[in-house]
Amino acid sequence: MLPGIHQNFDQQQAPAFFARGPSPLARLAFFTALSLALMATDSRLQYLTSIRATLMNLLHPLQVVANAPSEIFESTDKYFTTHHQLLKENSQLKQQVLIQNISLQKLNLLALENANLRDLLHAQQALAESSTLAEILHVGRDSFTKKIIVNRGKNHHIVTGAAAVDATGVVGQVTRTYPSSSEITLITDKSLAIPIQIERNGLRAIAFGRGRDNTLDLPYLPANVDIRRGDKLVTSGIDGVYPSGLTVATVTEITTAPESPFAHIVCIPTGGIEHSRQVLIVNLPQSEEPDMTANEATADDSKKAAAAAPSKDAAASANSKPAHTEPTVAPAQAKPEQPKKVEPPATEKTQNKPLTPDQGQHHAQQ
Amino acid sequence: MRNNKLKSIYLSLLAAFIFMLFPWSGLALTLRPDFMLLVIIFWLLRAPNQCSVGTAWFMGLWIDLATGGIFGQYALAYTITTFIAVIYQRRLVLFSSTQQLVYVFSLLLVSQLIILILKTFAGNEFTGWSYFMPSLTGALLWQLAVTLGLNTGRHSRGN
Repeated sequence: MLPGIHQNFDQQQAPAFFARGPSPLARLAFFTALSLALMATDSRLQYLTSIRATLMNLLHPLQVVANAPSEIFESTDKYFTTHHQLLKENSQLKQQVLIQNISLQKLNLLALENANLRDLLHAQQALAESSTLAEILHVGRDSFTKKIIVNRGKNHHIVTGAAAVDATGVVGQVTRTYPSSSEITLITDKSLAIPIQIERNGLRAIAFGRGRDNTLDLPYLPANVDIRRGDKLVTSGIDGVYPSGLTVATVTEITTAPESPFAHIVCIPTGGIEHSRQVLIVNLPQSEEPDMTANEATADDSKKAAAAAPSKDAAASANSKPAHTEPTVAPAQAKPEQPKKVEPPATEKTQNKPLTPDQGQHHAQQ
Repeated sequence: MRNNKLKSIYLSLLAAFIFMLFPWSGLALTLRPDFMLLVIIFWLLRAPNQCSVGTAWFMGLWIDLATGGIFGQYALAYTITTFIAVIYQRRLVLFSSTQQLVYVFSLLLVSQLIILILKTFAGNEFTGWSYFMPSLTGALLWQLAVTLGLNTGRHSRGN
C-alpha cells in the first residue's frame, strides 16, 4: 500500500544506526512531484473522475460511521422533547395546515387557469420536475469552498447539474455525483453563478457567490439600477437548471462608489444554507430545447398577432388560430384533462416531504 | 512488537480520519484542529521508521478525497510538513515540552500556509485570519494530550 513504509521495513533489517530507507529529501522530492502531477491531472484533465467515484464509494461506510454520533444525539434529543412542547407544536401545525389548505385550493384553481392560458398560447406544458429528498451527510471540511455532501447519488438518479433547494429557497447545484452520494456546491461558493430576477420589478441579473461570509454578489449592474434594500431575488428559470420563481436571496446592502460605474450589491441567501439538514434535489428539466423553441415560436406568434391586431382587428387573430379559440369559450371542458398533468408531481412531492407554502406555490405554477 | 505498533498506527490514523469526517459546521469547523496531521506528527516522533513522508502523503490523498478538493493539495502539504518534522525529529528528544509545543504549532501552521498558497493558486480567496485557528486548537489539543500522559517521543528510548 505504501511504498515508503515497505522500503522502510527492508531497510530496518540492516542493523544500521541511521538507516531510514531513502533519505527524507529524496522522499520529499518524490512525493512532491507525485502530488504536483496529481494536482495538474485533476484540475486540467478528466482522468480522475472515475477513480474519485470509486474511492468515494469506499469512503461511504466511513462517512456513515462518522455521522452516527450526531444522528444518535439528534434522535435522543428528539426522544426527550417534552409532551407539552409536542402538543403546542401539534396545534400550531394543525393551524398551519388549515391555512395552507385554503391557499392550496386557490392554487389548484390558478394552476388550471395557467394550464388553459398556456394552451391558448400554444406553449408546451412546463415539465414538472421530479425531485428527490436528500439528507446532508456532511458540510465541506474546507473553509475555502462551500460544498456539502448528501446521501443520494447516481443510484438514485441524481445527475450533475441538478438544482438543490430547501424549504426556504435555493441552496445550490449538484456538481459531482458518486454512486451513493453527491456533492452540492452552495450558491455562496465563489465558482457558482445563478440567474436571478428581482421579484419587485422583474429585472434580470446573475448572482455570484462571494466564497465567504455566506453572501452573494450582484456584479456588473449600473450604479443607478433599480434595486433597493430588502428586494427579493428569485430564480429566473432561463438557464434551464433552476425552476423559475424560487427564492434565492434578499438584498442587504447597496453601495455606489463615485469611481466605479457599477453598484456594489450584497445579498444574503434565504435558503438554510448553513443549518438545514435536508435538501430537495430537483432534476433537470428533461427537454429544454424543444421547450425553448416552442416559447420563441409562441412569442413570435403573439408578436405577429399583436402587430396584426390593430390593423385587422380581433377577427384576424381569431382566423389565424381558429382551433385554439375554443378553449376560451369552454374552459370547463379542458378541466378534467388538465389536473392530471399538474397534480401527480405534487402528490409525489408531498409523499417525500411536507410542502412549504413556497414550494407548493412554485410547483403549482409549473 | 512492531506489528502491534503498526496496528496502532493504522488504527489511530483511521480514527483521525473518521474525526475529520464528522459533520463539522459553523464555529466547530473554524476551530476544528487537523486531527490527521496531529496523529501523523505524533507517529513521526514516536515511530519514524513506520510512519514517514509516504504515510503522510497517502493520508493527505484521503483528506483530499473527503474535502472534495483537487487531488494532491493536502497530500503535498502533509508531505512538506512531515519532511520538516523528520529533519528535526532527532533533535526533538532534547526539546522541553514547551519547545515541543511551539514546534508542533509551527508545523501545523506550515501545512496550513501551504494549503492556503495552493488554494489561492486555484482561484480561492483568503477567508480571514480565523483560517489559522485550527493550528492554535491543534497545538492546544497536543498540549492536552501531553498533559494527560501521552508520550510524545521525548523519552522514546524506553520503547
